[in-house]
Amino acid sequence: MPNEPLLDREFLERLERLAIHWQRSFAGLVGGHNRSHFAGGGQEFLDHRHFHQGDDLRAVNWRAYMRLDKMFLKMFQIEPRVPVRMLLDTSASMATGFPGSASSDKFTYARQLTAALCYVGLVRLDTIQILPFSSKLREGKTAGGGRHRYRLAAEFLEELEPGGITDFLTIVRQYLNEYPQRGLVIVVSDFLDESGCEKALQYLADYGNELMLIQLWTDQDRTPPWNGEVDLTDAESGGKLRIQVDEEARRKYTEAFDGFSAGIKDVALRNQGKYTGLPTSMPLEDAIFGSMVRARSIA
Amino acid sequence: MEFLNLSLGQFIALFGTVAAFSVALYLLDRNRRKLVVSTLRFWVEPGKAAPVTRRSRIQQPFSLLLQLLGMALLLLAIAQFQFGGRRNLSHDHVLVLDTSAWMGATLPNRPDLTLMDLARANALGWLRAVPAADRVLVVRADALATPATSWELDRGKTARAILESQPGATALNLSQNLQFASRMQHSGGSLPGEIVYDGPGRISLRESNNLALPDMPAFRVLPVDDNVENTGLRSVGARRSDTGGGTWDVIVRVRNYGKRPRSINVSLNFGNAPQGVRSVQLPPGEEREASFEVHTRAAGIVEARLYPNDAFAADNYATLELPELRSLPVVVYSDHSEELRPALASDPRVIADFRRTAQYKPENPQSKPALLILDRFAPPVRPGGNVLWLDPPAVDSPVPVKERVDHPKDLNWTPDQPLTLGLRARDVQIGSASVFDPGPNEIRLASIDKGPIMVANISPDGRNRSVVVGFDPFEGPMRYELATPLLLANVMRWVAPDVFRNVDVGTQSAGAVSMPFTPGAVANQNGVQVLTDSGVNLPYSVHDKAVDFFAGEASRVRVIAGNSERVYSLTLPEMWDVKWSPPASARHGIPAWNDALRRNVDWWPFLAALGAAVLIAEWVAYGRYSPLRMRVMKPKLGRAA
Repeated sequence: MPNEPLLDREFLERLERLAIHWQRSFAGLVGGHNRSHFAGGGQEFLDHRHFHQGDDLRAVNWRAYMRLDKMFLKMFQIEPRVPVRMLLDTSASMATGFPGSASSDKFTYARQLTAALCYVGLVRLDTIQILPFSSKLREGKTAGGGRHRYRLAAEFLEELEPGGITDFLTIVRQYLNEYPQRGLVIVVSDFLDESGCEKALQYLADYGNELMLIQLWTDQDRTPPWNGEVDLTDAESGGKLRIQVDEEARRKYTEAFDGFSAGIKDVALRNQGKYTGLPTSMPLEDAIFGSMVRARSIA
Repeated sequence: MEFLNLSLGQFIALFGTVAAFSVALYLLDRNRRKLVVSTLRFWVEPGKAAPVTRRSRIQQPFSLLLQLLGMALLLLAIAQFQFGGRRNLSHDHVLVLDTSAWMGATLPNRPDLTLMDLARANALGWLRAVPAADRVLVVRADALATPATSWELDRGKTARAILESQPGATALNLSQNLQFASRMQHSGGSLPGEIVYDGPGRISLRESNNLALPDMPAFRVLPVDDNVENTGLRSVGARRSDTGGGTWDVIVRVRNYGKRPRSINVSLNFGNAPQGVRSVQLPPGEEREASFEVHTRAAGIVEARLYPNDAFAADNYATLELPELRSLPVVVYSDHSEELRPALASDPRVIADFRRTAQYKPENPQSKPALLILDRFAPPVRPGGNVLWLDPPAVDSPVPVKERVDHPKDLNWTPDQPLTLGLRARDVQIGSASVFDPGPNEIRLASIDKGPIMVANISPDGRNRSVVVGFDPFEGPMRYELATPLLLANVMRWVAPDVFRNVDVGTQSAGAVSMPFTPGAVANQNGVQVLTDSGVNLPYSVHDKAVDFFAGEASRVRVIAGNSERVYSLTLPEMWDVKWSPPASARHGIPAWNDALRRNVDWWPFLAALGAAVLIAEWVAYGRYSPLRMRVMKPKLGRAA
C-alpha cells in the first residue's frame, strides 16, 4: 500500500536502544558517540606524553612536574562526529520478488532496513546521508540533528522507485570524488553487477572508508524453485536465457550464489569491515536484532 | 438419482474428448514458462556458453496426469459408475416394522423410552445403509400388514413413516406380514432386496404353531431387546350366575410374562363400588384366575386393575360392560295353578302371577304382561298381546275346533320351527286333544292323523304372538315328560327372545376374535350380526361352528348369533405367548461397512469427491496462482534516476 509507512512506531521505539558502531577511528568534529584513539579535547583521560614546544600549557600535568621535575602533557580521548553514508541499491534487480509470498521484494526490504539504520543513527545524533544508486549516484538525502528528522528521511525513501542497471565501479568513483571525507559506508544491495562489484568495494576501503556491506536476496535468488524448461530474462540487462532446470542445475546454481556471497563477505572482512547477508524472508526485526547485532554492525 | 448413466463406449468417447481438450490446453499453457530473474550469471558457468535446451516437451507431467485423473473420476461419477453388473442395479427392500401392542412397553432402566423407540432407531440406522438408488417399502406389522409408504426413493418420506409409526392394539402376525412383504417385493418390478424385520419377535402361541415363513433369500432381523418384566390381564369374563337371577360371576385371568415370579393384587370395581381384591401368586410364564361375584340387575361397567404397575401399563386395566338382566312377567289364569307353578318357577327370569279364572279381567294395555297363559279357559273378550292358550274350550277357541279326539295317535312335531326346537318325541301319551281347522296364516306345530292339534299365529303387525295348544300338557302322563317344560320354554323364548338370550360378556384383547356357538342355534349366516358400539356392522365369517371377526382397535363389539348374544369388550391389548427365533440364515443388526448391503452403495458421491480433491491438489501444487508455486514478480520499472 502506497500510504503505509515503512516502519511502524512500535518498531522504531525498539530501535532507540541501538547504536551504529564502527571500528576505525576517523577524524571529525567532537560530539559523536564512537571513541577515537585520536587525542583531543575530550572529557576522558587517554595518556601522558612529553611536552613539546607549542603545546597548550593548560594541558600540562603540574603535579607530575612538581614530583619529577619534568613536564608531561595530559592527552584526552575525543569522540568525533563521523559521517555515516548509506548507499542504497535501487536497480531493477532489487525489484524482483514474490507477490503474495512470505518474502517481500528486495527493494522494499532494503528501504525498510535503510530507514531503520537511519533512525538508529539519528537517535545517537549521527549525521546520516542516504545515497540511492543504480548505474550512478542519485540525489541523496542528509538527515541529522535528532530523531525528529526521521520523517523527512522516511518520506525520501518512500518516494524512491527501482530501475536502472547496477554499476558499482562508476558509482564508487563518483562517491570518492564527491565525498572525500572518510567515514562509515553502509552499502545495502544485492551486489548483482554484471561486471562485478568486488573491485569497486575494494576502492572504497582503500580510500580509508570502513565498509558495512548488507547483502539482500530473495529465496528464489538463492534457491530457484522451478523445474523444467524456462525462459529467463535478466531484470536489468534484459538478457534472455532458455534453460532446462532440474535438481542438479538448481544445486549448482545455489553453490554459485553462495560462492558469490562469500566473495562479498571476504572483501568486507579483509578490510576490517562488516558483512551481513539477509534473505528477504527473514523478518526485519530478526535481521536487525539478530543478524546485524551478531555481526557487531549495531549494538 | 438419475445421471447420464453412460455405457462404457460412451464413457470412453466422452473422456477421450475431454482428455484431448485438456492436454491441448495444458500444452499451450504449460510449455516453457517465462520468468524474470535478478541475474543470469549463476546459470551460466564462467567461460561456457548458455546451455542448449532440449526439444520442447510436456512440462510437469504429474500435473497433467492429476488433471486427467480428476476429470476421469468426475466423469465416472456423472456416469453413475457401479462395480459389478446386474446385481448392483436398483433393489427393492421391505422394512417390516413391528407395531404390535407389546412395542408400547417401556424399558426397565429408561421409563421415557419404549420398545417402539428402539425399533425406530434401528430402522433409521438400517435406512442410512441402504443405497440411494434402492427403493424401500415400510410395512407396519401387527395382526395385519399395513403399508405405511409406497415404494419410495425419498428417504425423507420413509424416515417420516418410520417416525410416525406407533404401537397398535394387536399382537404380531409374523407369517402374514412376511408373506405380504415377499409378495410386494416380487411385484415391485425391481430386483428383490432385503426383507427386514425390526422388532423383538414376540408372537402368539397359535402363530408359533402355524408359522409359515415365505422363502426369503435376503432376510435381516433388527433385534430389539425386550427384557421387560410384565404381568397383565389376559381376559375378564362375566356370565349370569346359576345361583340367582341378579348375580354375575366375573372371572379375571392374569399372566406373568416375565422371568421372575411375582405377587400381584387384582381389584374389581362395579360402578365405582369396590367388589373385592384378590392376591395372586404368578410363576414365570403362567396364568392364573381370580373370580368375583357382582350382584346387580342393572347395566354398568366393571373395572379390573392390577397392582403394582409395571413397564407395560396397557394390560393392567380393563373394563367390561354388564348388560341389564331382564325378566319376563307372566300372568296365568288357571284353576289348576299347582300343575303349572313348578314349570314357571324353574327359571328365575320368569316372574309369574297366578290368578283364578274367576278373577279374569281384561288387562290394561299399559300394564299388560309380556305373556298371558289361559289354562283351559277362554275369556268372553279375546285378549290382545302374547297369549298361550292351553286346551281352550271348543266354543271360544281362537282357532276353530274340528273335532275332539281321545288318545290321539301319530303325533308329529313340525321340524325347523323354533317352537318345536328339541321336541322329537313320538310316544307322548296325550289323553285327549282338539283337532283344529287352522287358517292359511296359522303355523302348524304339531299334528295327528286327524289334523293339527297345535298352531301358532303372528299378528299382521308382528307385535302379538299367540300359541294355541289343543291339549293340556300338564295333565296325565305327559306332565312327567321332558317335552312339557321344553314346550313351555320354547313358547316363552319365542314370545320374548331378548329375555332368554344367553348373555355372556367378556373382555379380551383386540384383534382376531372367534366366538363359538351352539350347533343348530343359527339357521344360516343371515342370523348373525357383529356390531360395534356405534352400530357399525363389522365383517365376519362363520367357520367351523364359530363366528370369526377382526377388531383392529380397542372397542366393544356385540355378536348376536341366534338365541345367543355375547358382548366383547376388546379393551385389552393382544399379547404374545412365545418369542420367535429367526432362522439361522438371517442377517442380524444394522449393516456394517463391509456388509453385502453396503457393498451396493452408490459410488458417484465418492468418485465426485475424490475427483474434486485430485483437481484441488493439482491446483495447490501446480496452479498458476498457487501459493506453493513460485513465480518471479515482474519488476515495476519506474522512473530511473
